Amino acid sequence: MNETKPKIVIVPCSGIGKPYGTVSREAAYQVTEDDRPEDTQLIALSLLVLGDEEARQAVAANPSITIDGCKLACASKMVKESGGKIAQEFDVLDVFRRYRDFKPKGIAELNEDGQKLALALSREIELVVDMLSSSSNPEGGSNA
Amino acid sequence: MTEFLETKVDKFTFKVATDRYYNAQGVWVLKEGSVARIGLSDFVQQRSGDVAFVDVKPLGTALTVEDEAVAIETIKVTITFNSPVTGNLVRINPAMESAPEVINQDPYGDGWMAEIETSDWEMDRAKLMDAPTYFVQMKQEAEEEAKKL
Repeated sequence: MNETKPKIVIVPCSGIGKPYGTVSREAAYQVTEDDRPEDTQLIALSLLVLGDEEARQAVAANPSITIDGCKLACASKMVKESGGKIAQEFDVLDVFRRYRDFKPKGIAELNEDGQKLALALSREIELVVDMLSSSSNPEGGSNA
Repeated sequence: MTEFLETKVDKFTFKVATDRYYNAQGVWVLKEGSVARIGLSDFVQQRSGDVAFVDVKPLGTALTVEDEAVAIETIKVTITFNSPVTGNLVRINPAMESAPEVINQDPYGDGWMAEIETSDWEMDRAKLMDAPTYFVQMKQEAEEEAKKL
């Protein structure tokens, strides 16, 4: 019997008009599409806002990583509202404080620094993904 | 207890603390003895956005009015603010290094930026605005900003 491996949910900011929202989404794409597609799934914040049942079930059943683009923290709030448990909250502004040289500009298309910031953020997210994956994987040393 | 003048422009509410003076950039000055504590008005912090970094001139820097005293970097812009008073910079709020977002959270309280030992307060004060005067200027600026939205 094939059992579907649970995937860590990544919920980025859905804000438009500010580069930090774009950074959050670029980082989420990097993780879910390029670097950790087997371990993660991207859930659109708008689906949670709409109350989409499939999206709500996904966050309720799996650990979530949220990426907020501003202090309103919509992604984190909506995951909690949807009954999800957040394994790690990321705030793009906090990440920027760690990588001051990467000043993001552009909205539809990030400048080079913005892309570097998104990549740096994705690396931090992947560390959390790897930790969560190994702790839920019997071969990774867990008692589960 | 600090009291405020308050106005709502579009969906934003802006407060001006009445117990201090302001320069044209919206830098407030609260005088205690010979020391002037400085910070940013509520309108300036809201217009600037979430503060990521604050660079205050080094301790001991001799400032005159209009000398650049502080630069803030937000998610939107980098802005420099001039000293509203003449004197020596004697204290920097440690939170400017560790938690600069306090400017957004509490602009008139814990979000103060620095303290300056004043050397010509009476002269400086004559160039500053009291709260009601700044409130009028701030409201005009806020309404101009709202038109751009």
